[in-house]
Formats: sequence, C-alpha cells, structure tokens
Amino acid sequence: MSNSVISVISRFLEEYASSTPNKLKVIDAYLLYIMMTGALQFLYCLLVGTFPFNSFLSGFISCVGSFILAVCLRIQINPQNKGEFLSISPERAFADFLFAHTVLHLVVINFIG
Amino acid sequence: MYPFEGLFSLLVLSLVLETQALTPTHHLTTTDVARLQAVLSQPFTDLKSAYYSVVGLSKLGIFVADADETCRFINSNLDPSSVESLFYAAEASQALSGCEIPVSNDTRDLLLATVSEDSTASQIHQSVSALSALGLPLASQEVVSALKARISKEDNVLAIILALQTASRLSQQAELGEILEEIEDLAARLDDLGGVYLQFEEGLEATALFVSAAYSLSDHVDMEPPLKEDQVIQLVNSIFSKKSWDSLSEAFSVASAAASLSNNRFHVPVIVSAQGPAAVSHSHPFLQLQVTDVLCQPLSSASVLVESASAVASKSAILNQAPFTLRDGVFELNFMASQPASGYYQFSVAITGDSRFVANHVELKVKVSTRVAINNMDLSVVDKDQSIGPKTTRVEYPTKAKASFMADSHQNFAMTFQLVDETTGVELTPHQTFVRLHNQKTGQEVVFVAEPDSKNLYKFELDTAERKTEFDSISGTYALYLMVGDATLENPILWNVADVVLKFLDEEAPGTIQAKTLYVPKPEIQHLFREPEKKPPTVVSNAFTALVLSPFLLLLILWFKLGANISNFTLSPSTILFHIGHAAMLGLMYVYWTHLNMFQTLKYLAIIGSLTFLAGNRMLAQKAVKRIAAEQSSRLAKYRSLR
Repeated sequence: MSNSVISVISRFLEEYASSTPNKLKVIDAYLLYIMMTGALQFLYCLLVGTFPFNSFLSGFISCVGSFILAVCLRIQINPQNKGEFLSISPERAFADFLFAHTVLHLVVINFIG
Repeated sequence: MYPFEGLFSLLVLSLVLETQALTPTHHLTTTDVARLQAVLSQPFTDLKSAYYSVVGLSKLGIFVADADETCRFINSNLDPSSVESLFYAAEASQALSGCEIPVSNDTRDLLLATVSEDSTASQIHQSVSALSALGLPLASQEVVSALKARISKEDNVLAIILALQTASRLSQQAELGEILEEIEDLAARLDDLGGVYLQFEEGLEATALFVSAAYSLSDHVDMEPPLKEDQVIQLVNSIFSKKSWDSLSEAFSVASAAASLSNNRFHVPVIVSAQGPAAVSHSHPFLQLQVTDVLCQPLSSASVLVESASAVASKSAILNQAPFTLRDGVFELNFMASQPASGYYQFSVAITGDSRFVANHVELKVKVSTRVAINNMDLSVVDKDQSIGPKTTRVEYPTKAKASFMADSHQNFAMTFQLVDETTGVELTPHQTFVRLHNQKTGQEVVFVAEPDSKNLYKFELDTAERKTEFDSISGTYALYLMVGDATLENPILWNVADVVLKFLDEEAPGTIQAKTLYVPKPEIQHLFREPEKKPPTVVSNAFTALVLSPFLLLLILWFKLGANISNFTLSPSTILFHIGHAAMLGLMYVYWTHLNMFQTLKYLAIIGSLTFLAGNRMLAQKAVKRIAAEQSSRLAKYRSLR
C-alpha cells in the first residue's frame, strides 16, 4: 500500500520536474512561499493567541488572497489551457493579477490596523 | 380679506368655546383701582400730564380737588398756535366744571384747517376733539372723508383707533358706517395668546385705547360692537393683567378702558370673587360673594343665583336654583343650612339682571370644613397567645392615660378609635391619621399609619417583635401621639395619648445609638478603566516575525535554483515608469498603514495607479508583440525544418 503511494508520488515529481515549463515552476515556488507564510501565521495564532485579531485576519486573508490570485495567473498562463483562454493573453493575465493585488493590498492594509 | 378671516376665526372660536364660557382671570381689585387713582392724581408738570390726570380721573368718576387751580394752570400753559395744546386744554377743561378756555377766531380757523387729508389721523383727532369740547361747530362729513383718506394711507393700529375716537364726536347723521367697520378689522388684528389674552402686538396701551374707542363709537351710533363675549373677556384679561403702569398715558388708557367696560350700552363684564376664602363651616355658615364690574363697583341691578351645587367626590347635587341675598353690597348664601357633609363642592353661579352682563356664569369650588372629635379611644396590651385577656383602657381627648403601657416581644399593643364630625356625629376618614412613637431619651421617632376598617373604626396594632427593625431594637419609654389632619378639618389634632414602654431583646440592641447619617459624603467611586489586553512577551512576537518572514528566503533560493532571471529587462521608458509606479504603489500602501486614511490613499492611488497602468499597458503590449513575433518565427522555423 505505502509502496504504491511512494511510487505515485515519485512519478508525479518526475513528471512535474520534466514537463512543466519554467515560468510555471517560478509561480509554483511563489505559491509555496505564500502557503508557508500563511501556515506560520496560523501557527502563531494557535500557539500565542488571537490578540490582535484584526491583524491576524488581515495577514491571513492576504496570504489566502495572494494564493488564489497566483493560482488564477498560473491557470491563465499555462499554454496547455490556451484553448479555454483565447481572449486573454498572458500579459493581460499578468495585468489582471497586478490590479487584483492592488485591491487586495488596499483592503489588507486597511484592516491590519 | 381681513373681515372674512375675522368672521371665520370668530366662528371657529365660538364653536370651540361654546361649551365652556370664559371668566376673567385678571381683574382690578379695590387696591388696584386705588393705585390707579393715585398714579393719575400725581401733581402734573405740563399740559399733557394735566390732561391725562384730569380726564383720567374723571373717567374713574373722581373730580379734581381744586378745579380753579387746575383751570388756571391749563390756561397759563395753553399755546393757542398748537393743535395738540388746544386739544389737551379743551378736553381737560371740559372735565372740570366751570372752566372756560377763551377761543379766538384764529384758534377756530386753525382747528378747522387741520381737518383735511393732509394732516395725520392724530392731528385730525385732536382738532375734532378740541372743536367739540369747546362747543365749536364742525362739518362732520368733511371729517369723515378726511378720516377715510387717512385710514387708507396710515394703516397702523393707533391711527385707526384715533379715527374711531374721532368718529364718536361727530354728528349721528354723518355716514359713519365705513368707520364702524374698522372695529371689526381691528378686532381681527388682535393676537390671541393661549385663549386667555387678546391684545395688539403694539402693547397694552393700544389694546386699552381700542376698547374705549370701540365702545364709545358703538354707543354713539347705538350699534353693538362685533366683539364676542369671549373676546371681551380676553380683552379684560389683557388690559387688567398689569397692576402697575409705566407711564401716565398707560394709566390713562387703562382708566378709559375700565370706564367704558363698566358703563356702555352693550357689554358689561362681571367680576365675581369670593370674599375671603371660599369656605364655609359651622362658625362661618355664609358663603359671601362680591359681584362687581371691572372698576370694582358693585352691580346694583344684579341678582345672583346658584344654579347647581354638587359634591366633588360623590357628584350628588345639594342645591338647585338657590338665590343669594344682597347685604351691605355683598351677596351671601347660608350654605350650612343645607347641612352639607364636609368636603369640596362645585358651585355653578349665574348672575342675571341685565342683558349687558358678560361672563355671568361662574364656576366656584367651595370647601365645607368641620371640626373632628375622637370617640372611644381604647388602648390595650394583648398577649400574643391570647392566654390573658386584653385590658382595655379608655382615654378621653385631650387627657393622657395615667398609667404607661408595657409591651415586650410576647405582646401586642393595640389602639382603636373613631373619628366623627363634632356637630353631626357622622364618621370621618381624614387624609392623615398617624401614630407617632417618640423616644424622649434618644430622640428616635417612628411613625405609623392607622387604617380604618369597613365600619370606619380606626385600628392600630404594634407587634413588638415584628417592628423591631423600625425601632432599632432600642427598648425604652416611647411617648405615643395621635396626629389627625385634613384640608377640611378646622381643628387638626396632635394628642399625646399615653406612654408605652417597649422591651426588645437586649442582645439585638446596637451598642451606641447613631444618628442616621443620610447627608454625609459617600465613599468615592474609583473609575475602573478598561484593562488593556494581555500581550505576549516581545521575544515571542519577534521570534515569530522572523519565522513568518523566513519563507521569503526560501522563495529567493528556489527562484535562483529554477533560473529565474531578469535578463529580458528592456530599458524602455515605459518599463522604467511601470516599475517605479508599481514600487510607488507599494510604498503608498506602507504610508497608508502609518499615516493616511482611506480617502487620501484612494486619491494618491488613483494618480499613481493610472500612471502605472498606462506604462504597464505599453510595456506589456511591447512584450506581447515580441512574444508573438518569437512564436511566429519559431513556428516558421519548425515549418521550414519539417519541409
């Protein structure tokens, strides 16, 4: 049982390393960073306490929002999905990503207190 | 427009006030009338004040003491070339008997010439009055046309009042109809204050002069003035509410108004007041009323009748259509003859005898007092377990019981008595029946209420054990007082009935007896501010800050390993502008966190954002062009290689 799991995981990693274009790997590294930041914030909240709650919420939501926006960017940039995003060029996707981030940061900074 | 409004408001007023007739709330008493006379009797300094004094006093029915002296004064101060001076002199001399003013042809011509449209209403009034007072002939129709012209030019209240006064001096054959209508117009201009007062905004003097002018003109033409009864009463309230007058002219106007209201052909307001308090008792069985006109002169032709008298509490009628008898100028009625029970009675009194009487229905509240007697005062000490029968001691008012009563925690002290009307023997329930126990040594005082039972027998019981908190468990001798009081009792009672020795259980008594401290400063309240929340130690926070920032390093390492680079960075202006703009936006976010509010941030963001957008758009378009060109060239190369 565990054998098959390990073999599946190692095969997945191989496929990933070989067939994903570099751009997507860059975005994946960014996603990992965001996820770790969010997880560490949550850990602090669990260990130390929720004071000040608004700051925790804004930081956590910033991580979650950034993660979602980056995932959107990755989907839109992926050349394999080109068929579904005919009207949206990668540059347009990036511009959307930046605009959405501006709005997200405005809200986050407002709430961080 | 005014007459219509006036009629409409009168209609509404009459509909509203039909059910309750107004009675004057303000009127002159005899002292006020005396004060008015004193003001008008002051020694006069010039012709004008002489006029006010002499004519004012004559309106009150008083004649100046030395008429000759006054006549000489008038003649010496007269200025024959001034219409005003002639007016004062003529009017004053007419009020004095046997005073003549020499009149020359020039004077007469001057006065006649003043009667024209070019003189003011005041001048016309003065010349016409002077002419009529001096007995000189005048052309009434000319005066009427001049007045009409002046009224339309000077539309103020005082001018119209003077026109009314002038018209009352003219011949009855003259056409005074239009001037008469002005009374109604003026009445519409009066301000109704709270349904009680009716006065001109120009003040008391104008209102009083209006009343006297309106009634003198109405009497002259023998037509009832268009004033409703309630309006007349409201005017009475306004004019006679002020009891001390600022100037001689104000006092004069009040005297004129009072004279015209007490003696005119149409409306005579009636003032009804009780002599002393409106209360009767066995010692004072007569209810006495003073019925006068506004000048406090008794109305000789009046007959006063009680339409109905009913008890306020039970609403049962006691009297119906009982007449008052006139004795020495006062109307009196022996109310005690109807043997009313003590209490308050509502009287409805009607004054008849003259059709001119206004406000001749009055409501009065009359109190019937009585003397109270205490019967069957029985004091006893009862054992709680009823094993020993009660020993009752009877005490007669106002003596005190000889022996004092002892009661401890096993016994009750009881008191019963009856309160009756001294004369009729009817049982009474006064408002205040208190039993007061006073400890003479400590000064303590405890008051209880004695309640009557269904048979109007008062009972008071003191359960020593139950009531120990009121006494603070302090044993000792208490003086027992009975207090009886009521508004309708003539003899309130404070009677030291007996001494009572109360014994409480000693261990409950406080060591020292402290006076009740009600009015000492209370302990200060310390305000508890909201505690700030407990924060974790700085070390922990700093450690976690570093921990949260650490994935960034991981990101940089990963990117380096992946080979992410900025080799494609073109140094075109749009790229540089875009990156600067983007950095500025991030900087703005930091500044927003530290200094700004949302509105300012949005403002700056709009500016920076639009710049960044334009630059970024340009930059990305260039990138897109390059990418498409690269894709096309690679496709072309693939196509070529395939071929």
